Amino acid sequence: MRAFEKRLQSFEVTETSHTLAAYRSRGGYGALAKALRSMKPADVTKEVYDSGIQGRGGAAFPMGRKWQVVKPDDGLEHFLCANADEGEPGTFKDRWILENAPHLLLEAMAIACYAIGAHHCFIYMRGEFDLSRRRVEGALEEAYGAGLLGERILGTPFSCHVVLVRGAGAYVCGEASGLLSSVEGKKGYPRNRPPRLTVRGLFQKPTVINNVETLSNIPWIIDHGAAAYRALGTPKSPGTRLVSISGHVVRPGVYEIPFGTPLDEFIYEDCGGVTGGRALKAVVPGGISTKVLVAKEIAGLPMDHASLDAAGSSLGSGGMIVIAEGTCMVRLLQVMLRFYHHESCGQCTPCREGTGWMHRIVDRIAAGRGAAGDIDRLIHVSHFNDGTTICGLGDAAGYATVGILDKFRDEFEHFMAHGRSRCGGSLA
Amino acid sequence: MTRIFLNGREIEVAADTTVLRAALDNGVYVPYFCWHPRLSVAGNCRICMVEVEGKGLDIACNMPVSEGMKVLTDSDEVRAARKAMMQFLTLNHPVDCGICDKAGECTLQDYHFAYNGAPSISAEPKVRATKFHDLGDRILIDNERCIVCSRCVRFTHEVSRSKALGIQGRGDTSLVRCEEGRRFDDPYSDNVIDLCPVGALLSRSFLYKARVWFLEATPSVCPGCARGCAIRIWHLRADRRLQRLDPRRNLEIARVTPLDDPAVNGPWICNKGRDLAAIFERPRADQAMLRGRPVPLAEAISEARRLVDGAKRRTALVSSWGSDGELAAFRDHLAARFDVRVKPDHVPQPGEIVEDDILIRADKNPNTRGARALFGERPVAFEPGTDLVLVWGEGFDYSRVPAGAKVVLLGSYLAPENGAADVFLPISVQTERDGSYTNSDGIARRFEACFPPGETIAHAADLFAAIGGRP
Repeated sequence: MRAFEKRLQSFEVTETSHTLAAYRSRGGYGALAKALRSMKPADVTKEVYDSGIQGRGGAAFPMGRKWQVVKPDDGLEHFLCANADEGEPGTFKDRWILENAPHLLLEAMAIACYAIGAHHCFIYMRGEFDLSRRRVEGALEEAYGAGLLGERILGTPFSCHVVLVRGAGAYVCGEASGLLSSVEGKKGYPRNRPPRLTVRGLFQKPTVINNVETLSNIPWIIDHGAAAYRALGTPKSPGTRLVSISGHVVRPGVYEIPFGTPLDEFIYEDCGGVTGGRALKAVVPGGISTKVLVAKEIAGLPMDHASLDAAGSSLGSGGMIVIAEGTCMVRLLQVMLRFYHHESCGQCTPCREGTGWMHRIVDRIAAGRGAAGDIDRLIHVSHFNDGTTICGLGDAAGYATVGILDKFRDEFEHFMAHGRSRCGGSLA
Repeated sequence: MTRIFLNGREIEVAADTTVLRAALDNGVYVPYFCWHPRLSVAGNCRICMVEVEGKGLDIACNMPVSEGMKVLTDSDEVRAARKAMMQFLTLNHPVDCGICDKAGECTLQDYHFAYNGAPSISAEPKVRATKFHDLGDRILIDNERCIVCSRCVRFTHEVSRSKALGIQGRGDTSLVRCEEGRRFDDPYSDNVIDLCPVGALLSRSFLYKARVWFLEATPSVCPGCARGCAIRIWHLRADRRLQRLDPRRNLEIARVTPLDDPAVNGPWICNKGRDLAAIFERPRADQAMLRGRPVPLAEAISEARRLVDGAKRRTALVSSWGSDGELAAFRDHLAARFDVRVKPDHVPQPGEIVEDDILIRADKNPNTRGARALFGERPVAFEPGTDLVLVWGEGFDYSRVPAGAKVVLLGSYLAPENGAADVFLPISVQTERDGSYTNSDGIARRFEACFPPGETIAHAADLFAAIGGRP
């Protein structure tokens, strides 16, 4: 593992490292005390803005800019939501924080609430997360008991309450506005923008929604300052980020790496390379909603937003999937589209109909009944799923499809011509 | 005001409006399914895509105007997007216009021809869903035809406020359903049939009864309560009237739909208004009678005149279902000779909603206000010595007739009292005449005749002139 100062994984995971005592022993809640006692809300927001931190949920929106929209003293009630839904296939890095550093999230949320003038905040957690739920519930109990949450935190006039809300498990409930609908007790339908959620969000009040990992950087930024944060990573993507790597990789898991780390070095040096000594066929760099890259495209490719964008993909939610030679991309796309079809909320037309349409076409190809024109039809449907939907799920289904078709069209043509996979239909 | 450029034309619109509103208000049609002027913006059908210079495609229904915005509603990109949306919308929608009750007034059908018109490019079998799911006593849903525009769901949340409907499931298996354990028994439920832009929500009473292109609508006013909602009464077109098969169908009300009147009812009516056929098509009284003995209409009029002229103390109970014109005719020809009281023809029936804060009014008569404006608000009572009672319409308890008094009755429907009256005169109903009602807010609205009255039936206004005229 390359040497650098870790921010989120800066401790050894033990049976008790998630507790308040362990967190305090690591200096936990010091940033909250500093913020409440020596900084004004605007100072906190400025520090976050200056750090240049970008959202880690997938969209990479500058966190400080999001916070700046909410004016703490505008007389309105404000809300903060931590997005702990993490439903993107291949992505499991937030779970590491929820399970191993729940107090880091709680401290960050209290600081964020102070900055944006919120006194009630929510953690929206995917219902399937059990250990995460237990750890966060335990941390909430400890934090309330120690006066780190609730009324007059640390003896200051600031009060902040955190509520854990568990979703029933729907991908769109991890989309910011779908998340809010779910918290409000409604069907998890995403909302049209405008208005932005920072203008009219939860219960029609200005609301900031940040990803768990994004929030978890805040205590470090407050402790060490924006300049120190910018010292790692790249100028446009400062800091470190958690990457969850899975698939055909020798050492899967959650890694913290500085932005700008070369993708191939990360896979081969940090993660041990491809399983079974096979050649690398492709990499999904940031969750299946990001476009696939083939082996030659990742050589020396820095893992930062600008570089991935230039390569035609995205760092997304940090869920990297390694695909070894011999994997059938038709089967892989079939699995991906099964997911999108299943998870489409059904609210808007192109996604509701398009994801199912794409899935059925690929199902048919994978069953050996592909027909002339299927590939072009897939591209046509993908095109109109891109940018015409309310949320990003339809876009993502289109990206995944077009990405694989662009790079592996010959595999699909072979499948259609011969009625079977060139790779034996294997995903193993 | 905000200045925008709509297809290159500079227009000024209200600052808080949307591109869709701005376009529609300025004569530029932008298609829409889920948008409705009286419901919240859902933005889910995506057919109202427009192109904004520098921003690309987005939906017009949710897009606020901004100064200098340049909007294209018919660019190549917009046309391609609309065509694609129609492909999506018709992907799993059965092409069963031939048997669909919405055929002829289906937005999906119209838009398909307007914005796509091409055969499906899909080779996949359509997703099947329930064909006739029972939502309630009045409404069925064909889920295969549903495009999940959510108008019906929003209606029950935002207008009728019953919250009876929701959407179950997700993706292309989403289903509009009653909320768990509920029935769609909302008193305004039938509005969702009109709201539905496709043939998904079906009226049990109208299903398979008529093709809409064989029907025409007559503007009218609902007499069900003092709200006086503007309605359209649908019936066979004049050129489609039957000569032999069953000519009674020529005089049937096929259905009733709202007529959008912002000052009175907006685009909604309650279910009672949908059921006017049950009120108007009760067994009719079409025979003039003298104490139950059938006589020609002229003879009955003559006898009524004789009784009126010969009486010493007369009381008239005028109908609050009478039109403004009929009430005026009574005032002009008879009122001076009568002690006139305004009578409620209808009162709330057991189980009927008496009043709500949406449309329904406690007074179940359409023209109480018009009648009281002419004849005051005194309760139904009789001066001592009353020897003649003229009863116009329904709802009177005949046991209250003073002993020995003669009764002249003007009515439209078969009733035991008709035969007991000294003179019974059959009169036309609302669907057989023109007129107006003045609703509880003092707003007068006109209605028109749908059907000709029978030859033995008179208009009340004509009878008043005939009875009251001096010999």
